[in-house]
Amino acid sequence: MAKILAVDDSASMRGMVAFTLRGAGHDVSEAENGQLALDAARGGSFDLVLADVNMPVMDGISMVRELRTMPAYKGVPILMLTTESHTDKKMEGKAAGATGWLVKPFDPEQLLATVKRVLG
Amino acid sequence: MSKTGLAQFQQVFIEESLEGLDTMESSLLALDNGGDAELVHTIFRAAHSIKGGAATFGFPEMSSFTHEAESLLDEVRGGKRAIDGAIIELLLRTVDCLRAMFARAQAGEPLNDAVAEALRNELAAAMGRGAPVAGVQARREVDQADAWTVRFRPHAGMLAGGNEPLRLIRELAGLGELTVKTELDRLPATLAALEPTECHLGWTIELKGPARRADIAAVFDWVEDECDLAIEAKHIVAEVASPVATPATPAAPAANVADAGAVRAQREASAESSSVRVSIDKIDGLINLVGELVITQSMLDTFRGGEVDASRLAMLEHGLAQLARHTRELQESVMGIRMLPIASVFNRFPRMVRDISQKLGKQVKLDLVGEQTELDKTVLEKIGDPMVHLVRNAIDHGLETPEKRRAAGKQDTGTLTLAASHRGGSIVVEVSDDGAGLNRDAIVSKAVQRGLIASAEGMSDEAVAELIFQPGFSTAAVTTDLSGRGVGMDVVRRNVSDLGGTVTIRSTQGKGSVFTITLPLTLAIIDGLTAAVGEERYIVPLVSIVESVQLKADAVRSVAGGGELFRFRGEYLPVIRLHDAFGCDTAVQAIDEGLMVVVEGDGARMGLFVDGLIGQQQAVVKSLEANYRRVQGISGATILADGSVALIVDIAGLVRLQGRRKAA
Amino acid sequence: MGGRTKGKGEARVIALPADFRLASTADVKASLADALGASAAELDGAAVERVDSAALQLLLVFRREAAARGLALAWSGVSVAMREAADVLGLSQVLELPASMPA
Repeated sequence: MAKILAVDDSASMRGMVAFTLRGAGHDVSEAENGQLALDAARGGSFDLVLADVNMPVMDGISMVRELRTMPAYKGVPILMLTTESHTDKKMEGKAAGATGWLVKPFDPEQLLATVKRVLG
Repeated sequence: MSKTGLAQFQQVFIEESLEGLDTMESSLLALDNGGDAELVHTIFRAAHSIKGGAATFGFPEMSSFTHEAESLLDEVRGGKRAIDGAIIELLLRTVDCLRAMFARAQAGEPLNDAVAEALRNELAAAMGRGAPVAGVQARREVDQADAWTVRFRPHAGMLAGGNEPLRLIRELAGLGELTVKTELDRLPATLAALEPTECHLGWTIELKGPARRADIAAVFDWVEDECDLAIEAKHIVAEVASPVATPATPAAPAANVADAGAVRAQREASAESSSVRVSIDKIDGLINLVGELVITQSMLDTFRGGEVDASRLAMLEHGLAQLARHTRELQESVMGIRMLPIASVFNRFPRMVRDISQKLGKQVKLDLVGEQTELDKTVLEKIGDPMVHLVRNAIDHGLETPEKRRAAGKQDTGTLTLAASHRGGSIVVEVSDDGAGLNRDAIVSKAVQRGLIASAEGMSDEAVAELIFQPGFSTAAVTTDLSGRGVGMDVVRRNVSDLGGTVTIRSTQGKGSVFTITLPLTLAIIDGLTAAVGEERYIVPLVSIVESVQLKADAVRSVAGGGELFRFRGEYLPVIRLHDAFGCDTAVQAIDEGLMVVVEGDGARMGLFVDGLIGQQQAVVKSLEANYRRVQGISGATILADGSVALIVDIAGLVRLQGRRKAA
Repeated sequence: MGGRTKGKGEARVIALPADFRLASTADVKASLADALGASAAELDGAAVERVDSAALQLLLVFRREAAARGLALAWSGVSVAMREAADVLGLSQVLELPASMPA
């Protein structure tokens, strides 16, 4: 069981991610945008952060950049949930400090496989 | 994950996508009016979310469709393409098309249709390429060997980014047997020189076992830019011309097909208008009130059974007063749950105004005022149509073309204002324009031609303006396809009056017109006067009462055909004796012993003859139809303080009833 | 949560933390740097539950510098998690992990 933070402005996507991960026994917190995610991250130590790229208030890329300045989040896996089929978004996320990405659409099995992969 | 698990989010996805489309539309319109670049981001985000969710939640058609729009937006966002009217137009049509697709999704119909297909090609063409070619075969790696050497040297920053060599090498171990050799040449000689969060190690890994190059590369897919990687085949099995393994087809579509049934059942279960979204604040307010009610009740409970000591009388009175206050507040709060902001109705107008004004070659600026004004949900659902008609009418007949405006010394762009506000116990919605105003001569000549009046001699401007609410009235020289749809102002007035409201017009020639719709705060509670008729009690809605007068016996005259008239402020008004209309015995018959209540409904006035008025009160409307059956001239019933039932008089209905009698 | 050090004659014992990963390396590095001044040191990895390559890399640099300075170095405990990670990364030998040791 890991502590996971799911960040997405879309309630359906966030809900699906949280539902799936909770079903696998993880302890999942949810945040609606990057700013709220940073607040949550300061309050608790997460083993993994899953974040959408495009969000209002603070987007996922800025959020990753901020998270990586926090000593407690150096080295913590952060995956971007992205639909971008071009590589530029993935690379922008990586440059900001993301660990990797999960390309939408993904189904619950793919999500679990990726989470398992990154948590080792 | 269970199917119902996924389905519950499918419904949420549809709802949030429809909201997203509203956002896209309003932002596109704002952009069209010279909005800032942030709007492009907002639009992009909305399109992006729909695209991502659509594929995940089982609507691949919508996903690929939105993808085209998103690519276009991405170029705009990246400054590679300037946004112009044509692109906005195209994207607005995309919004429409997606709405239609969601509607089909809700109905469980196939999502694509010819319109979607054509629009998709248009979007693709706008991107400077043809329709996407289906089934392009990806070039496959045929590289396969049963022994590999992998050289992996992470860049210094890889660890901080969360990619752990431990994980990567363990994953690689899933492909075959590993021999791992660590390269320490980059390792600093002293602790002082070591930045411990940076990676200074490297690995050469021998992998034994049949594996494809692509499988090995996939292990390192997240770090390809964060390391130096070399994958060398040591022992090549064979060069295979045909693809060895079929590329993994995404499992998602199959799963989605299986889920479609569950989703559909879910959708059908959620009836659209039978639910209402309530803000947490309102619910918290209710919970608070209920809490106070419980406290008051337990306080009052202490008086149960025993005799009330005189010294505690004050406390009892206090408790009862508190109970009354809480009940009233609770009533208001519960009614408040039905109240929703008018913004949802207002929001459909920017698009409509844009389309109509473009079609008519007019320039119109739309101002929305008081979007947060709350209306009863039922009123909200029904006020749209009358407003649409008033807005069409204002642009079509009220506002002038830029040339005419210039000639009249006005700005080229006309202003159309939709304003909502609370006034007293009512909601007032105004549709105003700074156009030409009503043309008295045109109205009069039309009314004469239609036989509505013989001449306008002595008619006030107000009375002339009222003529446009007569059935079948139209002043446009040429009936346009916009407002000439067989719907006249009479229908607007009818619709509004069905909601218990009124519509009036104020107009100044050359300056513009204001249509004012006045609506009750809620349909579920009305303010009324209780009237006595024999043993019965009737509620007359306060909004329709002009005044009540005591008449002398000779003030009412019988006319041929059985009707009665009385003179009120220079007009002769028909009399309806409520005891006749509803068959009450023992009621007052003599005019000078009863009371004449002058009421107005559907633009006509008349006198209701009753025994007397008992008082003013708020009545909670109960449907007569639901509990008994529909009765002409009665809009509902309510329960009085003494437990008896009083019927609520439907003034507009009585006016229509009266008109039919007159015609008969 | 840095590694605790305590004097044991001249031999310094450095207890490695349960969560011995990237975020803790700065603290452990300070303890190790401190121990470089002693004549002998013991590394106690018995409590280590989670470990990563940054942590093992740190130990590696420490061992190399300690050897260069002639510091007597020994393991007083190695957890299963630590041994397993060192094996995967091909570092067991260079870290001179004892062949077998109760965790």
